[in-house]
Order: sequence, then C-alpha cells, then structure tokens
Amino acid sequence: MKKLLLYLLLTAAAVVMLYPLLWLLGASFKTNEEIFTSAWFMPERLDLSVYGKAWKTVTPYTMGHYFLNTFMIIVPKTAFTVLSSVLVAYGFARFDFPLKKLFYGLLICGMFMPAIVTIMPMYSLWSKLGLLDTYIPLTLPALFAGEGMFVFILIQFFKGIPKEFDEAARIDGCGTLKTLFFVLVPCIKPAVISIAVFTFLWTMNDFLGPLIMIQSVEKYPLSLALRLSVDSTGQGYEQRSVIAMSVIGLIPSVAVFAIAQKKFVSGITAGGLTG
Amino acid sequence: MKKFIFKAAALCCALSLSACTSKKAVSVTPPDGSLDKCELRFSWWGGDDRHEATLKTIDLWSKKHPDITITPEYGGWDGWTEKVTAQMKGGTEPDIMQINYDWLITMSPDGKGFYDLDSLSGTLDLSGFDEDTLSFGRADGKLNAVTVSLSGRGLFYNSEAYSAIGADYPRTWSDLIALGESFGSHDAYPLDLDIQSGGTAWYLAVVYIQQKTGRQFITLDGELGFTQEDIRDALDFYKLLEDNHVIRTVKTRTDEDGNAALYQSSEFIGEKVAGVLEWGSAVGKYEAVLPKGVLEAGPLLAGENGNNSGWMIKPSLLYAVSGHTKYPDEAAAFMDLLLNDEECAKILGTTRGIPASRKASSALEKSGALTGLSKESQDILNETDTITISPYMELSRMKSFYNTAIESVSYGTADTEAAAEQMYRSVTEYLEKIKNEDPNLP
Amino acid sequence: MKTRTYRNPVGVSRYTGLLLISPFIIGALLLIIYPFVSSFITGLTDGSSFVGFENYRHILSDENIRSSAAVTLKYAAILVPLKLIVSLAVALLLNMELKGIGIFCTVFYIPSILGANLAVIIMWQYLFTSEGLVNQLLEAVGLSPVSWYGDTDAALFIIVLLRLWEFGSTMIIFLAALRDIPRELYEAARVDGCGRTRAFFSITLPQIRNVIFINLVLQTIAAMQEFNAPYMITGGGPLGSTRTIGMYIYEEMFTYGDEGTANALSWLLFMVIALIVLIMYRTTGRLRREDR
Repeated sequence: MKKLLLYLLLTAAAVVMLYPLLWLLGASFKTNEEIFTSAWFMPERLDLSVYGKAWKTVTPYTMGHYFLNTFMIIVPKTAFTVLSSVLVAYGFARFDFPLKKLFYGLLICGMFMPAIVTIMPMYSLWSKLGLLDTYIPLTLPALFAGEGMFVFILIQFFKGIPKEFDEAARIDGCGTLKTLFFVLVPCIKPAVISIAVFTFLWTMNDFLGPLIMIQSVEKYPLSLALRLSVDSTGQGYEQRSVIAMSVIGLIPSVAVFAIAQKKFVSGITAGGLTG
Repeated sequence: MKKFIFKAAALCCALSLSACTSKKAVSVTPPDGSLDKCELRFSWWGGDDRHEATLKTIDLWSKKHPDITITPEYGGWDGWTEKVTAQMKGGTEPDIMQINYDWLITMSPDGKGFYDLDSLSGTLDLSGFDEDTLSFGRADGKLNAVTVSLSGRGLFYNSEAYSAIGADYPRTWSDLIALGESFGSHDAYPLDLDIQSGGTAWYLAVVYIQQKTGRQFITLDGELGFTQEDIRDALDFYKLLEDNHVIRTVKTRTDEDGNAALYQSSEFIGEKVAGVLEWGSAVGKYEAVLPKGVLEAGPLLAGENGNNSGWMIKPSLLYAVSGHTKYPDEAAAFMDLLLNDEECAKILGTTRGIPASRKASSALEKSGALTGLSKESQDILNETDTITISPYMELSRMKSFYNTAIESVSYGTADTEAAAEQMYRSVTEYLEKIKNEDPNLP
Repeated sequence: MKTRTYRNPVGVSRYTGLLLISPFIIGALLLIIYPFVSSFITGLTDGSSFVGFENYRHILSDENIRSSAAVTLKYAAILVPLKLIVSLAVALLLNMELKGIGIFCTVFYIPSILGANLAVIIMWQYLFTSEGLVNQLLEAVGLSPVSWYGDTDAALFIIVLLRLWEFGSTMIIFLAALRDIPRELYEAARVDGCGRTRAFFSITLPQIRNVIFINLVLQTIAAMQEFNAPYMITGGGPLGSTRTIGMYIYEEMFTYGDEGTANALSWLLFMVIALIVLIMYRTTGRLRREDR
C-alpha cells in the first residue's frame, strides 16, 4: 500500500516534469498555427518529413557527420576530465605538500569567476598557438583539471572515505596510484560516474566555446549545426523545424543518461534505506 | 614560494601584454593586380535559403577560378556577432565577410578595421552602385564595405483581419489612430510595435517626428538632431498609440508573447494583431506564418498635408574584406562575382534582399524573380523622399536607451518628460563617448 | 623560511601530492592565472587605452547595475534553498528500493539536459503566456490568471521555476552521496528502535552534510553567475526586473562591446561570490565533517 502511494507520487511528479517535453515533441510535428492554438500535445498528424529535412541539413554534411564531430570532442574530453579530476582531487584530499593552500585557493577561486571573461584571453592564446579551428582548445584544457567544480566535488567525496582504507591498502602493498584506482575510486563510483555524465551532457550543449573556436562548417559540433538555420534577421521561419532540431540534439544525451543511471541505481544493495 | 608567485605573475603579465600589443601590428598587403592561386575564407550568417544559395555561388566561382578555393564559414544569427567580434580582435577574421551596418562603427571606427576597397578597383567593379549607396559603406572616408541590399521598415497588414472589420489600410497618422477604436471593439489591434531586438516602437515614433519637424533623429556622422522636446513628443506619440488601442501596451504584449518575436506569437498568427512594422528584407518570416497572400504591404503614413517624408532606409547587409587578408585582389574578385555577376545574382535571388547593385537587380528583373512583398515594400519606399538611417542609431547600446524610455513610459514608471530627459542625456553622453574614443572622426 | 612538517602517511614524500596535482598546476597557469590577469588588465582599460579604476568607479555609481545586483541576490536567495530541498527530497525517494526507479531517475533528469535553449523558450511561452497552459489550469480550478511575463515579480519567478525544474544535477550529487551511506548504520538504528524520521536526522543528514555543503556552494555560485535563463526567457525585462549581473556582463561584453566594464564587473562579481562562499564556509565549519 505504502509502495503504491509512493509510485503514485513519483508518477504524478514525473508527469508534471515531463508534460512540457511531451508537448515539445508533439509540437515538432505541428504547423505554426497549431502550435499556438492547441494545448494538447498530440499533433493532428504525424509528418516525419521535418526530421528528414533536419537530418539532411543544407550543408554538404548530414546531422550524422555533426554527431561524429561532437563525439570526437566529447570522448577525449570526458576521459581527460575524469582522469585529471580524480588525480588532482586525490592529491588534495589525501596528501600534504608545499603550497597546498595556495593551489587549493586557486582551485576554488577558479569557480568564482564568470567563465565568460576567460573566453577572449583563451581565444587569443589558442590563436597565437595556431590551434584555432581544431578540437584542441575544446579538449586539451580537460587534461589539466580545468573544471574546478568537479575536483571540488570529488575532494569532498574522497574525504568521506575513512583513512583506514588507504592504510589497509598500503599494508597490503598497494602503491599510491594502486590505492587510488583499486580501493578509493570504487568507493565513490557514483560520484565519478556523475562527473563523466555531467561532462558529456554539458559538452553536448556547449555553444559559445565551439562557436568561437571552430571556423570550418565541416568541423562543427552538433550544437552549432543545430542552430545553422536560425536567423532572426532574415526571411522564412518554421517553428517546428527549430523544435525538431532541439529534439534531435536531446536524443544522445537522454540515451547516455539512461544508460549511466543504472550505475547509480545498481549500487542500491550497497546502501540506502530499506522499505 | 614568493619567488615562484612572482615568476608566475611575471609570466602571466608577459602573456597578457603580448595579447594587447600584437593586435596593433597590422600590416596591410597591397594589391598586386593579378589573381594568384590561393585559399580564401568567406563568412556569413543566415537561414537555410541563404546558406543553400550561397554554397551554390561558391561552386559557380570554383568553375570559373579553379585555382582559388573559397572556404565557406556560416551559421545562424545567434552568436554570430560574438564570433566575428572575437575574430576581429584576434586578427583571425575571414578574408571576405558579410557584415551588419553598425559593425562599421563597432569594428572599424577609424576606417582601418577592414580593407580599403577603393584601392581594389582593378578587380572590384563598383559601377553598378551610385555614390549614395556606396557612401553607406564608408568609415572615416574609406570605403570599408559595399552595400549588398537596401532596406527600410514598411507597414504590412493582415488583409483578412482588415476586411473582417471593414477597415481600409491607414494613409495618415490620424487614420491609424482612428482605427484603434474599431479594432478595439473586436478585441484586436490594427498594428503592433515591439521593444525587443528590433525596437520598432521607437522607430515609428522617430519617423513621425522626423516628418513633422524635418529634423533627423541622428545624423550620419553621429550628431543628435532631435531636441529633448522632440524626444518627448515622440514618446508622447507612442503613448497616444497605446492609449488609443492602436498597439498593445508593453505589459500586454509581454504577457501574451513572452520573450518571443511577434511572428512567433499566437496573437499575430491568430490575427488579433493585424499589422506590423518590419524591414522589407525580413518580412518573409511574417508572411510565412500566415496563409499565403494574406499579408499585404500598406502605404507609408503621411501627415494631413500629404507629406510622407521622414521614412528611412539603410543597408541591410554589406560585404567587407579583412584588413589582414594576404590576397586582396582575389578577395575583391570574389566579392565582385557576388555583387555583380548575372548568373550569381540569379542563384542568390533575394536571399540577401533586393540587390543594390544595378547589374544584379536588372538580371533578377529580367528573369522575373523580383516579385513579392519585399519588392513591393521597396517600391513604396522608393516613391518617397527617404532618409538614410545613421549607423549610430542602430548601435545596440542606443537601442537599449530607446527601449528603457519606451518601457518606462508604457509601464508608467516615468512620465514622458522625465523619460525624454533621461534618454536625451544618455544618448548625448554615449555619442560623445564613442566619438572621443576615435580621434579620427570630425 | 621556517620548516614545516608535512602530515603524510609513512613513506610518502611531500612531493607525492604535488605530483598528483601537477595537471592542475599547469591548468592553473593556463586556465586560471593567465585569463584572470588578462581580464584584470582589460578591466582597467576602456577597450584600447588605460583608464585606471574608472570602470570600477562607474560601476559602483551606476544605478542600473545596483538594481541588477539586487535582482541577482534575490534570485539566488529564492532559487538555492528551493532547489536544494526539492533535489534532496527527490534523491531520498529515488534512493528507496523500488523497481523501475531507474526510469524515474532518468525522467527527473531529462529537463536538466535542456539547459536554456530555443526549445525551452518556446516551451515556457506555451506554459506561461497569458493564455498558456498554466493560466488555463488556474482558471479551470477557479483561480484568476497570473500575468507571468509582464509582472516584475512573476517574471523572476518563472526563471526560478525553469532552474528549479532542472534540479537533476543537484539531485544526482545527493544520490551519489546517499549511495555511500553504509546500510549497516540504518540496520543498527532499527535494532535500537529508531524510527524513520529519527534515522533521517541522526544518520542521513550527518552522513551527507559535506555534500549538502558542496551543493549549497555550487548552486550559489551558479545562481550568482546566472545569465542564460533570463537572457533567453525574458531578455532581462520587464523594466530590468530579471537582468542579473551575469546577463549584464554578457551584454556589456558582446552586445555593447564594452570589454572594460564587462571585465571590471566580473571582478566585482568574483569578489562578492568569494565573500559569500567564505561566509558559508566559516559559518558551517562545525557542521561539516573535517577529518583531515
């Protein structure tokens, strides 16, 4: 009975959360007029041609090409981010070393500054290095624990693990890195996975970074390709194609999240309240 | 430790300083009079039609000049200014660019931001343009850009909504004000003016005052022509339109449309709003959301004496060549194709508005491609004595001053007197400031 | 220089930690110190020439910026507590042993993927314009419709709602922390006859207090820097009631091309955020677990 109530509560919340999105999906099939006149999400008819057109794009490349480009950025970036953030967070959480306070301060301060002010200096730096129009400006910073927030999160999670774990590992003959990867990281797997997921999702949505760093249409990631035809200064406008583009852009993110969430849920027997 | 911080700081300063100094060192490559094998970058923003047509013109070019490769760089309007601003600052902009009118001031205040096109007359034929049209592309006397098309805001009406009420399109300002009542009884509006990106509300008020007084709001060289009383009168006129149910109040519009543009609004699509003030070059998006043929161009409003002056035009787009280009002749030759070539003009059609180049427009005329609302609107404007909009009037910061004034008058947080005073002060201060930044301007 | 002792496990050199954070040391130079210095220098110019602290003087005396600062603080003060409570509540629900919980987890996260893009603008317009879904529902239950976009308070509220709807990331961090709580603690408590509510206050909350603090800090920073949501949803209006400092900086930088003001304002924002976080850090010192 209690469980039933709980399910009802969750379902009601899910409906409230999702209805606008359902409407959005429906709206991608609606004409401009229908979008504004009907509150119900179901379109009058299902016409997939808008998706066909969006997939083909007016560029010489299909959306598939832009998906691949995005993955060329996302895969190294996610790997770099996770690796560097874990190493650096481990260093801060478990060791004492010269200038620790200074570096910790820098890490925290990095989060306080609006990201927008770093765009122009970084642009001129990459431009001087001749690396504009490559994926390096978008991926390489991830190797240097560029996202202070992730390091910050991981530090707090590392601190939550009792130090006895490290000591036990050391007695068993594990070195510094072995302790990290075989003892500590498994303990905070959900946190590590969330960082990978966040990196993936945010990179998927990042618009201003690629817009400024990438010049060739051939190298555009999905976020740029999706806005190729949005021109508020010009002629012609179809609401549904803008919406269809957004829906296309959502698919990989939803898929990745749906797969990754299993990792959060599978930990359920290890901890948590019992009903 | 101190030493380390010092070194780090010194390194950073060096990096930052070099960032400051390097952009000043511009060396202009002079034209050599021949077309050499090279690669050029060409950038523009736009929608699907424009992308598709422009890509085809690049194919056309590569058939004629297989040695000179054109690499296209294009995207939507969102963020495009940001992108080009960053490129101009870093000196990494494409060789040829489609630019916006006010960029001439923001990106080339001294006329040195873009290549001086006068020196490229060997490959760029400007005989299809009259001197007036060319002058729009001059910054500090130097020809920085060539006008692709001219455009002015015109009035467009929903013919179904008007005939349902039995009203004719207004010809005079008092016609317009009188329409408020007849539309109001049907819970509709004869016209709508917004304060968003376009800022049509202030535009119409400016036209009204310019027609009445013969003074130009802001002159081409950036002098404020209106007095504070003129500004107050303009705001009073705006308020009059709201009070007479000619247009929606800012609050009603915001409530009904959110942050969406008028052509995305249910009120316009649902025919509650029966008229718009829009650039002839951009009216297509309003046309597209209504049934075919429903939107019609109306007459420009006149005073009781038939005086219909005061309406304005401006270059809707321009092409410019980068000041850093290594291949000025080649860039100019490509620009020449885009502007003048007959075949190219047919491919492009009106995707960038009605061509200002006589060569291109006559090619379009012959092929019968010059029809539709934007052409009609252009013809209506051509029949009157138009004023050229100052690029200073189009600056984003200036637009924020207009919007602040209109919004506060509409919400009633300031009376027109106070709003006019504040706007007058902000505008004068700002104009002074941008002109001081640039010692070359008179 | 006086010698310092390093509290490291036996056999660990004091340089081990330094080696581990070496990626960050390079990163700090490249991604933090260099842009910071560069931005500070730009903040002392009017875009081309040096003007000293003129930009700062101008900012501190500008009425628009002051009201924008007030908007930002108000926004953060409303959003942050709401978001923390909602995401913790949902994370607690999702932490229960129920079948199909993964689906709910995904469903609750999906809105966060959207950010504040074009689709969201259209969606919020559909929901909150005067004849939108929300007003229709209000009228259906006999309430009077609300002027969402046009009213200065309501407009800020619909932006708060957007960000509240996107509580996924905060929820995930809470969930990750809840998963780390050893189940034995709850079993021991149950053996001792401890109820569900007591278990929450005496086990769950203390166990995740560090993570509550992380989320508080991260959400405060995000809210103080907010620019995208108001930029897209209301454009800062009406009457500037939703123009946050983040949006102000963005406009100065890109719309108006005033880099000097944008950078100077960023530094001021930086200092305010640093101050707020410092206060949070100090006042919660005892509540957090500091076991180093």
